[in-house]
Amino acid sequence: MQKKNYTDAELQELRTGGIIKQKQKDYFILRTRIPGGHLKADILKKYSVIAKKYGRDYVHVSTRQGIEIPWIHIKNIPGLLKGFKKLGILRGACGPRSRNLIACPGSSVCRFGFVDTEQLAKKLDRVAFGKDVPKKFKVAISGCLNSCAKPQENDLGFQTQGEPSVDLSKCIGCTLCAKVCEKVCSRGKRESAIIMDENKRPIYRKENCFFEGDCIRVCPVNAWKIKKIGFAVYIGGKVGRFPKFGEKIADFVDGKKIPKIIENTVRCYNRIAEKGERFGEALGRQDLETIKKEIL
Amino acid sequence: MNEIRIDQHLDLKGVPCPLNFVKTKLTLEGMEAGSILEVVLDDGEPIINVTASVKEEGHQILKVEKTSEYWKLIIKKV
Repeated sequence: MQKKNYTDAELQELRTGGIIKQKQKDYFILRTRIPGGHLKADILKKYSVIAKKYGRDYVHVSTRQGIEIPWIHIKNIPGLLKGFKKLGILRGACGPRSRNLIACPGSSVCRFGFVDTEQLAKKLDRVAFGKDVPKKFKVAISGCLNSCAKPQENDLGFQTQGEPSVDLSKCIGCTLCAKVCEKVCSRGKRESAIIMDENKRPIYRKENCFFEGDCIRVCPVNAWKIKKIGFAVYIGGKVGRFPKFGEKIADFVDGKKIPKIIENTVRCYNRIAEKGERFGEALGRQDLETIKKEIL
Repeated sequence: MNEIRIDQHLDLKGVPCPLNFVKTKLTLEGMEAGSILEVVLDDGEPIINVTASVKEEGHQILKVEKTSEYWKLIIKKV
């Protein structure tokens, strides 16, 4: 047996998450996680040092906003893992556990974002990461409807929505809000949420709104403002061999409820799914209304 | 209506995004604070994007006006 030379402690390390066997004997990929994909530049340098010294001078950037360091020899793994914490590097997950929570750049820099996904992802890592589940479990947060973090393709996805309101006393009647709204709504096969009356004043029809805030961004005099921010919740999305988009189960959920929703969804997944089954597959046998109550 | 005194005029008909915004920005940079720039832009993306970007740069937009097939944007440099 190829592993006979390794201690029990070393083997135990291999059984926990984030260490992936390569096809080459005795070599492993060290998977790390970066909640929300926001990484301090100083920590990035440490990855470089490890990859140079213990790997083969490169890393792989995963689609789950993690950095994987390939070509780590088994004899170096226990020492490296011990050092991770001090370096500020977080271990990733593999096997039947929940994965790194991913997010878009967020409102601190993005002109479309409604929420600071960096702060949110950091806070949610504790509830979202590393939980035991039947197969795997992925959470994503997008700061707007552009869905850069692809919440619909994750087991649990949050997509930020912003409800606008208009201060007519500031409006200069330029009609640009109606123009951007018409563009989005026609793509979404809806009538416009903003139309202009005969005096070139906007009329807002909330029932048609996609809540993406184009009117707020374009308004030259800030007559349109954000009134309310919330999250659409998607469950059961996956990719793999049999991809499917998640089902939207709520709109404008309060951000404070997100940790609870994550915990509830992990518990629900463990309750309804068989071993090796994804959440979305198990959901197929369930009554969605009951599941909604359990999660929200 | 009281007339706005235009200090500089920029014709960006046919100039695509984001070059139209870059030209607007450069022109504004060369102007005195408080002076007024009038920009003529194509319909569609240009008027939408340039308006949003000029606002993000902190300038004050005084007027947005459709004239036949073009748009006029009147900006006060901050």
